[in-house]
Amino acid sequence: MDPGIALSLRDVRFRHRNAKGWALDDVSLQVRRGQFVSVLGANGAGKSTLCMLVNGLVPHTVPGDLEGVVEVFGADVAEDSVAKLSSRVGMVFQEPESQLFCMTVEEEVAFGPENLGVPADEIKGRVEWALELVGMAGYNDRSPFSLSGGQKQRVAIAAALSMRPDILVLDEPAYALDPIGRVELYKVLRELKEKHGMTVLLAERDAEEASLYSDHIVLMENGKVAAQGPPKEVLADPERLVSLGISPPQMSEVASLLRSRLRSPDIDFTRVEDAERTIIERVLPAGRGAAR
Amino acid sequence: MTGFVDLYTEGDTVLHRMDPRVKIFAVLMLTLLILMISSLVHLLILLAFIALLVALGRAPFSKVSLALRFVLRVMIMIVILWPIFDPSGTPVLATLGPVRITEPGVMRGITNAVRICCLATVWYVLMFTTPQRDLVRALVKLGVRFDFGLTLSIALRFLPTFSATVESIKDAQRARGMEFDKGSPLRRSRNYISVLIPTIISALRTADTLSLALQSRAYGARRHRTYLRELKMRASDGVALAVVVAAFVMPAVAKFFLKVPV
Repeated sequence: MDPGIALSLRDVRFRHRNAKGWALDDVSLQVRRGQFVSVLGANGAGKSTLCMLVNGLVPHTVPGDLEGVVEVFGADVAEDSVAKLSSRVGMVFQEPESQLFCMTVEEEVAFGPENLGVPADEIKGRVEWALELVGMAGYNDRSPFSLSGGQKQRVAIAAALSMRPDILVLDEPAYALDPIGRVELYKVLRELKEKHGMTVLLAERDAEEASLYSDHIVLMENGKVAAQGPPKEVLADPERLVSLGISPPQMSEVASLLRSRLRSPDIDFTRVEDAERTIIERVLPAGRGAAR
Repeated sequence: MTGFVDLYTEGDTVLHRMDPRVKIFAVLMLTLLILMISSLVHLLILLAFIALLVALGRAPFSKVSLALRFVLRVMIMIVILWPIFDPSGTPVLATLGPVRITEPGVMRGITNAVRICCLATVWYVLMFTTPQRDLVRALVKLGVRFDFGLTLSIALRFLPTFSATVESIKDAQRARGMEFDKGSPLRRSRNYISVLIPTIISALRTADTLSLALQSRAYGARRHRTYLRELKMRASDGVALAVVVAAFVMPAVAKFFLKVPV
């Protein structure tokens, strides 16, 4: 077993109890320690099922037939309990409202470590650390109900981080958020990746942020892996993404447009700076030439 | 359904600082005392004392009046209805067909109305000065299982959420032309089915995610969980406890052993 591998799925199929089709069909993927991996797909592509496999909610709580092997840090998910796995796998769900259930933010973040029997002094330190990390320091006594959507999701992240997980799994965390909440959320995820080297598995429908932060991207369609690889490669064709029900990143749309207009297949960028340079170097001279 | 109001207001009074276990015990003792006392004068004295507690807890006027409006309605009902159903004793003040109003009946009505007022206000003092989380924490510390405490706190926590859900569903139905307050009483109650069903479905969905979220946060991972904040009894809590016990025991002894009417 390679200790550098955080999560490994080999030929995994899963069918919900009483369902006809496979929610996941022949899925194989690997997440290395410290990697940021995004799973992109439309509704019903199998993203949530995949996320819940990682901490054992599938198949332990959500029943069905599981084939293949899912390993989290070398441990077989099918053999461990959710309670045991949850100390290694931090989980953040879509709905900000229904995953926060305590009266105060502090209790919310302390809930996990309390269940794990962590001594009170250490919990206190972890709560402060986690709230600081997600930019919610000082909100300890606020009711989660009174927070904005973006703040709620960041508290949910803090509540997962306080258990000191080795991998953070987020199932469409920005789903119910307004644009500001979305920006706040991704700022936190970026910091987790860059400053803390956290291993992250993110399910998304919008490729915008995934294109910036991911080391590896998995495209899913109807429970199957449609493509996977580095972001540049996988996200190069915006039309294909749209056909899969994924919102393509704006920069790759611009690149694709330039490729076809200038008839130069070598144009490729994902960042605004690269787009700017390409436009200055190739579009502007071409335009001047046409004007003359 | 109007928005849910949490009666608790943040503060730093003697009552806020008191250990919630002591507060719960004190309220139970006072409840027994209120049920034991039968003299109107003594009940009024007790009511004055409870009013003092409300003042001591510095509850904001808006919440006190909100709470009292409800109690006042119940009191008026009792004062009116009690003499009608309790016609024993003399002198008879009025006769109206089969209904007989007597002076002791009226007095008993007033006494019981004051008693209800005492009971309600005593519990209000607890709600005014104790955050819900402390109430739940105190119950768990007093031996209630953590599961039950958690269930209770989740129920309390989601009250405002569901209240908001109901409001937004009502707005959505209104936007589609539903008029909730029009038509016969039957029609009106039938209108609410269009709110009830989406509310139940939304509640079930929330419960589903909630159970996944609870498990993902290691709920039930160990038999013994730790607590970030422990409740601590202080000297002042001991004093409060002694005062409450004395306040209950002295009249009890007077009533049951010395046969003094209280």
